Amino acid sequence: MTAVQSLKAEKSAQPASVRLGSSSAVARDLDGIVHILTCGSVDDGKSTLIGRLLWDASDLYDDQRATIERSERRAGGTDQPDFSLLVDGLEAEREQGITIDIAWRYFDTATRRIVIIDSPGHEQYTRNMASGASHADIAIMLVDARSGIKKQTRRHAAILDLVGVKRVILAVNKMDLVDWSEEKFRKIEADFRTLSWKFGFWEALVIPVSAVTGDNVATRSTAMPWYKGDYLLEHLEKLPSRGSSAGGAFRLPVQTVLRDGRDFRGLAGSITSGVVKVGDLVVDASSGKSAKVQRIATMSGDLPSASAGQAVALQLDIDIDVARGSVLSPPDHRPVSAHSVDARMVWLSETAFDTRSGYLFRTATDLVPISNLEIKALLELETLTSRPASSCGVNDIALAHLSLGRSTAVDLFADLKSTGNFMIVDAITGASLAAGVITAINARADDHDATQFVLTREMLSRGLCRNLGVSAEDREEFMRRANEAALLLRAAGIAVKIEAVPPPADELDPGI
Amino acid sequence: MTAAPSHLDLLESESIHIFREAAAQFRKPVLMYSIGKDSTVLLHLARKAFWPQKPPFPLLHIDTTWKFKDMIAFRDKTVKEFGLDLIVHTNADGLAKNINPIDYAPSIYTDVMKTVALKQALDAHGFDAAFGGARRDEEASRAKERVFSFRAAGHRWDPRKQRPELWELLNGRLGTGETVRVFPLSNWTERDVWRYIIREKLDVVPLYMAAERPTILRNGQLIMVDDERMKPKPGEEIKMRSIRFRTLGCYPLTAAVLSTARDIESVVAETLSARTSERQGRLIDHDQSGAMEKKKQEGYF
Repeated sequence: MTAVQSLKAEKSAQPASVRLGSSSAVARDLDGIVHILTCGSVDDGKSTLIGRLLWDASDLYDDQRATIERSERRAGGTDQPDFSLLVDGLEAEREQGITIDIAWRYFDTATRRIVIIDSPGHEQYTRNMASGASHADIAIMLVDARSGIKKQTRRHAAILDLVGVKRVILAVNKMDLVDWSEEKFRKIEADFRTLSWKFGFWEALVIPVSAVTGDNVATRSTAMPWYKGDYLLEHLEKLPSRGSSAGGAFRLPVQTVLRDGRDFRGLAGSITSGVVKVGDLVVDASSGKSAKVQRIATMSGDLPSASAGQAVALQLDIDIDVARGSVLSPPDHRPVSAHSVDARMVWLSETAFDTRSGYLFRTATDLVPISNLEIKALLELETLTSRPASSCGVNDIALAHLSLGRSTAVDLFADLKSTGNFMIVDAITGASLAAGVITAINARADDHDATQFVLTREMLSRGLCRNLGVSAEDREEFMRRANEAALLLRAAGIAVKIEAVPPPADELDPGI
Repeated sequence: MTAAPSHLDLLESESIHIFREAAAQFRKPVLMYSIGKDSTVLLHLARKAFWPQKPPFPLLHIDTTWKFKDMIAFRDKTVKEFGLDLIVHTNADGLAKNINPIDYAPSIYTDVMKTVALKQALDAHGFDAAFGGARRDEEASRAKERVFSFRAAGHRWDPRKQRPELWELLNGRLGTGETVRVFPLSNWTERDVWRYIIREKLDVVPLYMAAERPTILRNGQLIMVDDERMKPKPGEEIKMRSIRFRTLGCYPLTAAVLSTARDIESVVAETLSARTSERQGRLIDHDQSGAMEKKKQEGYF
């Protein structure tokens, strides 16, 4: 060990003097929240990096600190406490020595809630990384300074891009083991630049760090004076909070309808993008009907306007028969009522794709039977090329075409993230099989629809749904039964589709 | 102009979203109401989520018969004030066998009077979803918990069989025999719960505030003598001390802290600068290593 290293080791064994966070007794709101995903290969020291960040920069409780200091475990080959103990959770994985699932950690800086989503590095758990990344505002990717960019780094970047992460940091870890070499760092930095060009990242920063010694983690390193950029914590505190930009067109996927037993009928849901104001005209994309926003109601009082991230209930000036599954939008920038979509998706389940299974399409608040799911190609994440395929299994990234049993309102994922994503759900077991992003939308029925069996509304209301009336609840129940009937037929190998809701002028069957 | 939402605004909206999704997707949900500060916040968010309607589900309280008297009074007052439906369930079998927290090991007592009791109540009423106030910041095994946490038949939690959750999509379609625990406070911290109680001016059980209360010192922990069932052992004496509680449960298993914080603001000031995590005061968690994880696999909370 060099003199510099041993000095550092001694210093970093103490709790750091920088104690950010809210130890000062102030009960106040923080300015916002940033979700950070960490990802890397098993041995890149990811848990140690997060543990180090918590140890140095957060107001950990004394009993948590004591547990770490009391532990016999030391960080690989050093006399440092094993900071990864702060992160690794379940007993099974503590025994295995690897992280097997995503774990959530919370800490406060002076102005900010930081949420760390720790994602597994092991290749077989790619699906968990995708699920962690889908919640992240920024991702920290770790590589070992001795080995640089690996195949898995590329794979991780591709997954981040797929689920819509726009900011990334490459943390080049274990700089202490390459004698803080600028040359080694610059080589990795250049490799990463080449790699990140291929993706849709807005921001890609490369930082040299040592998680074990704490260099460039919560404080600026003195061992690497050649690095002038932000150290890790410095950069994390500069990021914009989630929900701080209400960009994009207004969308409110309706979750439920609330009533007060008199004349209030509130379309309740969370605004996923944009802003809505009292007096705005909004439209339900599926029926094409529009109305003006009369009230934006919450239990704490009415609001003049509301924006992305807020959970509200909108009362409209006229009743336009909107129910759960509808998406409200401005008339001039609507989602598309899709009959089929093209998508990229991560297959999450150990149960492989099977042409005979019944699948459901889960959007923000709608659940639609899939009448046909066709795998077209698999994406090779390391080369970013695709090869034709007709099946897929766990951890595959597939390009697919999905025909829907009835139309539902969606957006392109590249335009609006929250109304452009979906999950595929197994109709029988309920399992979440795949998660996808919409890359193309077809508003017209597919050609092969001519050969499909159509479950007409008349057929349904004559038998299966004949005890249902005209209330909103009954209409929801009608749709639920129609979906289930379609699934059963589909499971029996019959291509099926549900007859669309008639245009508003059709008064023959007001109940459906 | 709308100001950018604060972190509590974001957390509140997220919780409301979860409540609405669960109520829309599950046939018969119930809110597990344990009367403490987390339940207070949980209930307030449920009321917000469905206002102007009442929450479309009842409250369920598992009464071990060893809760603090102040908790029961607070529970009944709350239910009356908001006009809610309350189901109280006690494991009658455990009660008949006198399984109590003084004579039995905490792990046995908790299993019989809480875990088994909860399963009995959920099964008896056929609830398919139960809202709970668990937070991911509470304990290591909870850091990986999902918002919709699936339980196989028999309420068993299998860490390897949990569904991935992506973006804001919540998949509540149940397989045969499955039920769900729903955790709207997943992303809250202990400090957020207190901050929110102040911001929303919520009433909490008076035990959270310091007062002179009869206590004994047992195994280094301050235990309140809430009724005559708690008898001092030789060498122990009942002493009035100014104490408060950071968490509330069964009184013989809940350690108090010495404090003079008599109003909610000073409690929060103390809590925000506290140096030990709240579960320190819960005696059941120190029973064995990985205790919480084991309890969870058996269906606790």
